[in-house]
Amino acid sequence: MGGQRLEDRAAYLERVARDVRLNIVRMIYEAQSGHPGGALSAADIVTALYFDIMNVDPSNPHWADRDRFVLSKGHACPVWYTCLAMRGFFPTKELSTLRKFESILQGHPDMKKTPGVDMTTGSLGQGLSCGVGMALEGKMLRKDYRVYVMLGDGEINEGQVWEAAATAAKFKLRNLCAIVDKNNLQMDGYTHEVLPMDPIDGKFAAFNWHVLSIDGHNMQEVLAAFEQAREVRDKPVCIIAETVKGKGVSYMEDVRAWHGKVPDHNQYERAIREIQGV
Amino acid sequence: MVMRKAKKATRKAFAERMKEYGAHDPSFVVFEADIGYSTYSYLFGDEYPDRYFNMGIAEANMVGAAAGMAAGGRTVIACGYGVFLSMRALETVRTFICYPNLNVKFLSSHGGVTAAIDGVTHQATEDIGMVTTLPNMSVVAPADENAARAMVEVAVNTPGPVFVRAMRDPLYNIYDADETFETGGSKIVRDGADITIVSYGDILFEALEAAEELRRMGISAEVIDMYSIKPFDKATLLGSLEKTGALLVAENHQKRNGLGYELAAFCLTNKPVPFDHLGLQDTFAESGNYYKVLDKYGLSHNHIVAAAGSVVKKKQAEVAFA
Ligand SMILES: Cc1ncc(C[n+]2csc(CCOP(=O)(O)OP(=O)(O)O)c2C)c(N)n1
Ligand SMILES: [Mg+2]
Repeated sequence: MGGQRLEDRAAYLERVARDVRLNIVRMIYEAQSGHPGGALSAADIVTALYFDIMNVDPSNPHWADRDRFVLSKGHACPVWYTCLAMRGFFPTKELSTLRKFESILQGHPDMKKTPGVDMTTGSLGQGLSCGVGMALEGKMLRKDYRVYVMLGDGEINEGQVWEAAATAAKFKLRNLCAIVDKNNLQMDGYTHEVLPMDPIDGKFAAFNWHVLSIDGHNMQEVLAAFEQAREVRDKPVCIIAETVKGKGVSYMEDVRAWHGKVPDHNQYERAIREIQGV
Repeated sequence: MVMRKAKKATRKAFAERMKEYGAHDPSFVVFEADIGYSTYSYLFGDEYPDRYFNMGIAEANMVGAAAGMAAGGRTVIACGYGVFLSMRALETVRTFICYPNLNVKFLSSHGGVTAAIDGVTHQATEDIGMVTTLPNMSVVAPADENAARAMVEVAVNTPGPVFVRAMRDPLYNIYDADETFETGGSKIVRDGADITIVSYGDILFEALEAAEELRRMGISAEVIDMYSIKPFDKATLLGSLEKTGALLVAENHQKRNGLGYELAAFCLTNKPVPFDHLGLQDTFAESGNYYKVLDKYGLSHNHIVAAAGSVVKKKQAEVAFA
């Protein structure tokens, strides 16, 4: 994608992200279970990673030199599953089996069942530690792969996130990039009400990370941030992405209740129409 | 026992009673870890905002803070999912709550594979093993709404830490509102003569269904709700085994270190009888429809029927050779 203009790459990704959002809503409706809010807020970033930034081979999901992705906020996995399927890791028809009996698509990510899932997650606050381990392994083997870890802004309440942040800085893991999906909501309410963590950028900076702050729904900014992150020497990078929970479905946007709720039939049809823009 | 379809999950029944009980006992407080809309602890929080502390997604910190508050004598009810309370925060629970024997009570939701659809990360299938192993900890597992309501007072009035294992989804109700419960208690929910089936929580209903099928096959099964897992009701168990001479334990948990292991060790010492045990066989489960998952992992009533049949045969063979 390197030769193409940023605007063209972004425009292409915006079209892909629309299909990603459609699939997220369809999957959760079909499963009658799942977490739409946090999947939709992460949709643009995960799309950018899988359809532009990351070096992966869908025909060889365990390729040793691939870039890795850890969805530490594992409940948002419909966004990951649909990106993997659309990218060719497995047939998109599998998406209709989300959360169902004997599906390859478990309620939370399972690295043994889903091609392309690099790490099992679902218990919050631990994925960054796994990312540190993957990055350390890459450094030890002198490989060039990069490790991307997506965190929720509620998830970073967990103390272990900060233990991982300290170790990543200690080992100067420049191959590690964390993304905080800052949608300002967690399960019980706004993050500033449940457990205030601001300033998140200041915290990561104090832990000796290189910090970038972006609009997580602006594809050009997203692409530019990942490219800048690649250039940083001697430090892990944290991208703080300002996002909207439920982005793309008006009645879900910034509404606490859509963290883990399934739309009824009318809501479902409306969601599809809104995402399609008709 | 008549099984009536339930509308309310045990997690919710407990939380509703916790709110009501807040008026009778103004001294206890409630801690939450950002799943208040799932444990329903928000009901208490809305009523008593000054006695409700949402600690965020930080379970180990939550139970540590609960220990600190309880160190001054106060009772704290800490709410969360079983996996996170019993495993994520385990060492803090052990050293800072159980070791000093503080009055911290746990509303622990999503016990066993009742959180089937969420998958392994949310299925507490080792929690009983973890928490029963801790000295001073009492452990109860209400099967229905009225039992869950009663556990609020059981927890608050039992000295020391108490772990209440609740379930994600509504199943059945069997108890009336005036039924009484206590730590160390149990309920014989069906009388029988040929085999004792011990269970707790959701699997109790599978056991009752199995007992009905066994009756049609000519086997009379006694079913015990061992809702108090630690301490358990030795007298009732011994009395039942005296009569039936055979034991089957069925539980929504790993077999290893579940109630079945405890009862097997107890029976070997005190009352050896033909025995079998149903639970997860050293495996994680998976996502999916609750009943399909139960069946695949050998916990549904048909598995109980088969296992009970075999245990009764074993007993009869032993009698023939004696
Ligand atoms: C250790 C742990 N505690 C609690 C939960 C339950 N839980 C699932 S999602 C969630 C809220 C997450 O909020 P956030 O990280 O902001 O994610 P997002 O807003 O992107 O959905 C909680 C508390 C969990 N999965 N893991
Ligand atoms: Mg959030």
